[in-house]
Amino acid sequence: MRILGFDTAAPTNTIGLVDDDRLLADYAWEARDNSLQRIVLNIDQVLKRGGVRLEDIDGLAVGIGPGSWTGAKVGVTVAKTLAYVAGKPICGATSLEALAHQSRNTSVQLCPLVDAGKENVYAAFYRSREKGLVRKGDFYVGDIKGLAAAVKEPTLFLGKPAHLNRQILSKELGSLASFGSPADSPSGCVFAWIALPRFRKGNTDDALSLAPLYLKESLAQALLLKRQQGAKS
Amino acid sequence: MILGIETSCDETAAALVEDSTILSNVISSQIDLHASFGGVVPEVASRKHVEAIGYVIKEAFDSAHRKPSDVEGIAVSARYGLIGSLIVGVSAAKSLAYALKVPLVGTHHIEGHIFAPILSHPEMPLPHVCLTVSGGHTMLVYVKDLCQYEIMGNTLDDAAGEAFDKIAKFLNIGFPGGPAIDRLSLRGSRTAFDLPRPMVRNRSLDFSFSGLKTCVVNMFRGRQQDTLPLPDVAASFQEAIVEVLVSKALQAAERKGVAAISVTGGVSSNRRLRESFRETCGRLGLEVFFPLPELRTDNAAMVAAAGAARLERGEVSGLDLNAVPTAPLESAR
Repeated sequence: MRILGFDTAAPTNTIGLVDDDRLLADYAWEARDNSLQRIVLNIDQVLKRGGVRLEDIDGLAVGIGPGSWTGAKVGVTVAKTLAYVAGKPICGATSLEALAHQSRNTSVQLCPLVDAGKENVYAAFYRSREKGLVRKGDFYVGDIKGLAAAVKEPTLFLGKPAHLNRQILSKELGSLASFGSPADSPSGCVFAWIALPRFRKGNTDDALSLAPLYLKESLAQALLLKRQQGAKS
Repeated sequence: MILGIETSCDETAAALVEDSTILSNVISSQIDLHASFGGVVPEVASRKHVEAIGYVIKEAFDSAHRKPSDVEGIAVSARYGLIGSLIVGVSAAKSLAYALKVPLVGTHHIEGHIFAPILSHPEMPLPHVCLTVSGGHTMLVYVKDLCQYEIMGNTLDDAAGEAFDKIAKFLNIGFPGGPAIDRLSLRGSRTAFDLPRPMVRNRSLDFSFSGLKTCVVNMFRGRQQDTLPLPDVAASFQEAIVEVLVSKALQAAERKGVAAISVTGGVSSNRRLRESFRETCGRLGLEVFFPLPELRTDNAAMVAAAGAARLERGEVSGLDLNAVPTAPLESAR
């Protein structure tokens, strides 16, 4: 099964083309000003290098965040438009699951972290099971101490924010906290591989309604909500 | 057959146009969503665009009973607007052009508005003077030929539609402000309050509406809404804006010696503005053209028309086309 995976919500934009377990081609470039404008051109390059035409792929996998809001919007928009017009199935996968996927052969609890700005992180807890990674509980958005307070068992922290906050996590959690390799930003093919079992089972997403996972309201929405709740009480 | 896409502010739109015939014109408006904020919130708008864009494009094909494979070119508003909103339409347009292997052209949002009356009235003469006026811009453009422009006047501060919105917010009569003031003014007197006509005697063709807005605010600040003669305020305020817009457009037409004026953009829906243009132009023997009602506010049919004209001139954008929030309206090369 040939799957094109890409992600533009992370600090590194990535595209990968896989055929089942085999990597056919991939490409990564740093997310900077105007880097998103190259996404369609770079998809074309990766498909050409992999020797596969868009018409011949079996599915599209896309990173839906959490991460850069604009990046996730561009990635999801490109994926849903390509899926609609080329008539391909689509699977969205979160940046957190992609980070955890790379350490899926570990028996301890996994906690991937993504920068959420203002010294906050997006996070979730995963456990490796026979059928794949299973998320425990809801997604987390908040500061690092709040996250540490939720940890009650040995946990492997993943992602760049885990390393930036290594001291705090170690201080709060002692021997419960362990850390993955610092260079663990997932590549586009990880998104394709996460989605592969879902494509096989036909458990895909609806292209037209697929939306990014923001995990935070915009400031204006948050203020409006607060005002409305204040008016009610 | 050209597919147009427009997402520069708070409308997600897609349309199919073939040889000046509108095959479909789909607009998903976010106006109710933004009404609770009293204005367009950029992050809210761009999120809504991502949710809507796929449905809107599909509906543009389905309602025209055409297939994506029938498309010969893709046009998208790529310049002028909210960056987070523009980027959604541009990303979709590039994906479509790539998958369908057809040319892509990025157009200027205001060029779309200039094409709305041309698409509505293919018999409209060239050259002409175009007054394009919305919540985001107020501009007088000399349209020498298709895609050949000379900007004659611009707003120095608020757009006319923005002034309507802000005064409507001040009077607490709803968002968007234009239709609310238009409705109220029907019951009011245009001469009830003596309001300034900013820059009307000035040789410059530029506009300024923030002083007029401040004048209204100062006149009624601190008064309870129910003590205000709302219809009279609305009618007098609207008349001041209309008079300035009409007078500057006529000056521009006279300077260029053209026989036709087009009035486009969301504010061209204003009943009094159209009435005043018809009266004055009729008296002076000038022709005046307005877009079809569905082409007045932001839409993608006008973008498809502008894109078709650009593509006919051999202009094609690359698949690395970028969204640019502020950019000058440029003539075709």
